[in-house]
Amino acid sequence: MSITYLEAIREAQAHALRDDPRVFIYGQDVGAFGGAFKATKNLQKEFPGRVLDSPISEDAMIGLAVGTAIEGMRPIIEMQFADFSTVAFNQIVNQASTLFWRTNVPCPITVRLPFGGTSGSGPFHSQCLEAIYAHYPGLVVLTPATVEDAYSMLLAAVAIDDPVIFCEHKFLYYHLKAEKLPSEALPIGKARIAREGRDLTIVTYSAMVHEALAAADELATEGWQVEVVDLRSIKPLDTDTVVASVARTGRLLCVGEAWPWGGVTAEVIARVSAESYGLLDAPPQRLNAKDTPVPYHPNLWAAHRPTARSVAAAARKLIRF
Amino acid sequence: MPQIFIIMPQLGESIAEAAIVNFLVQPGDQVEGGQDLIEVETNKATMTVTAPCGGRIESFSAQLNESYAVGDVLGKIEATKEEAARFGLDVPAPAKSCDTDTEAISKKSRNATGSRVEPTIRGLPVPANASGASYMSPRLKARMHELGLSAADLAGIAGSGAAGRVTVEDFEKFMANLEQQKLTKASSMRVAVADAMRRSWTRPIATVGLPVQLDPVLAHRKTCEPKPGPALYALRALAVALAENSAVAGRLVGSNIVHPSAIDVGFAVEAEDGVLVPVLRGADKKPLKELVIRYNELVELARQRKLPADATGGSVATVTNFGTFGLIWATPIPLPEQTLVLGLGAGRKMPHWDEAKNQFVPVTEAYLTLSFDHRVLDGGAAGRLLLRISNLMRQPEKL
Repeated sequence: MSITYLEAIREAQAHALRDDPRVFIYGQDVGAFGGAFKATKNLQKEFPGRVLDSPISEDAMIGLAVGTAIEGMRPIIEMQFADFSTVAFNQIVNQASTLFWRTNVPCPITVRLPFGGTSGSGPFHSQCLEAIYAHYPGLVVLTPATVEDAYSMLLAAVAIDDPVIFCEHKFLYYHLKAEKLPSEALPIGKARIAREGRDLTIVTYSAMVHEALAAADELATEGWQVEVVDLRSIKPLDTDTVVASVARTGRLLCVGEAWPWGGVTAEVIARVSAESYGLLDAPPQRLNAKDTPVPYHPNLWAAHRPTARSVAAAARKLIRF
Repeated sequence: MPQIFIIMPQLGESIAEAAIVNFLVQPGDQVEGGQDLIEVETNKATMTVTAPCGGRIESFSAQLNESYAVGDVLGKIEATKEEAARFGLDVPAPAKSCDTDTEAISKKSRNATGSRVEPTIRGLPVPANASGASYMSPRLKARMHELGLSAADLAGIAGSGAAGRVTVEDFEKFMANLEQQKLTKASSMRVAVADAMRRSWTRPIATVGLPVQLDPVLAHRKTCEPKPGPALYALRALAVALAENSAVAGRLVGSNIVHPSAIDVGFAVEAEDGVLVPVLRGADKKPLKELVIRYNELVELARQRKLPADATGGSVATVTNFGTFGLIWATPIPLPEQTLVLGLGAGRKMPHWDEAKNQFVPVTEAYLTLSFDHRVLDGGAAGRLLLRISNLMRQPEKL
């Protein structure tokens, strides 16, 4: 038996609904239709009255979630695409993120953002918004890269008393598979060494972990051992694991599918440069999507985002510095 | 009629800008292609900007004494179509050289909306100075600091990084290799000298030399009690020469010359595993016979390593008598806080052609050397100073 990244997300939601009567799912077409990507398939049948269709108003969806959280519920909100969560931006960053700090009432909502590029998705269905949400105090931002993490981190997200932005990558939905669901996991806020190496550290997260691993395979044939750090959680950010890795390798390349300006890669480089300047044997570098809207055409899209090939090229340049 | 831009040309490697010194023609003047139009001064030389083609000078936009970057527009020439075409300039040149990508984008965007912010599509370049053999990464610096090493200690390491820079791996290999060799602890004096020499060597240091006849000095010292050594004559002569013009002993800090406040001159004394430099204060103010007493005192104190604090440091130049080791020529390195070091070689009997006697006569000759910070003075000034010292030493009774 094998299970996909998307199925793991469905299973985690079923598990949460089963375990905790305060949990419910709210989103556009999540009920009978099973969600745009079928992440809630059959859940309405299995948990009647707890998987509810919302109007096409992201603003109202988060508003309702915050209200029910105040009343003690633990809602999971599905945004059809991360891109549309900006319609609910006010509710997320002004209401949800500040609620506990204003009133001492926790706001345990989980907002699922199907995000990131897939071939041909274009500018409105490909965006990576993790950095924008990570900018706001009070929010937790998670970016699982594996089937196991998608499952265990979604369960953790529902259990956390703070509002969680759960960034699930659409590119990984169908073709990332695992043998079985995990029974244990690293805690939230802890990064994972996805591959050990001594010549260069690549810090990345979500779908880019797999591009980085493929690049590391390619570089291994040239005799370079590349360490790949999967951040798992953008906020909190596990600086310790990153710094420990740079201490081993002396070289840092940050890879992100999001745009470069003020992003996660910039934050990681800023922290490493400020806290452990003396560990760097080369200028830290980053590789991001190009600073333009995401193109529709598959060829342009492939050139727009970092790929194993461009990661390997950047890594090679940095190793040879 | 097409207007052709007069552009600041590439005036040489590593030259980014030049200042306008003189306009050789006036607006309205008729000029030929290749004719000199503007005299400009770079940090290396004075050059001219020539006419891109023949025509009438329409205007100069450049101002006298202002600096302009390579590629900047300095003025315009009104040329006939044929003339412009002859020089391949019938297409108006862009004011600044910019890469074709951006140009293409901006052209397109002008058609579309008139103006817009261009997307930043280029990557993050590594700064040009962050590579090469002299580049030390923060990690390498931190590791060297930890081990108490300095850049000079890296000289023996072949770098494997970009442009031959030493990577931290190269460094660790080198250090591991050292452990297998015989190591002894350097004395603190040795370390102090090493530190001073390393700091001094960051400057461009040159040496000039001149033979000086020592016979007058040797004759004169026999008449004195206590007898001054030849090096003290050289020291006194240097002090007198510097009193006449102290600027040559100044230090260059940024774009300022820091002038010496007093002519205090040090002299090198070998002591155990290093060199000490006691200082004769106001050496220009006291005659030789007064200096000699203090000189002898200081030499004795230095050898015992008991120099008082006020007898070291703060001197404007140093005299070193490498002749005591039998050396006739050397290139001493000035102390890091000084611009000059005067050296005296061993005296030797040499044949000297005597015009009056029409024959060779034996004379005692030694080399005087002057090592100097080439940023502060040049060979000419150093040579003049050395010649002045040599002349003063010919009349030792006046010292």
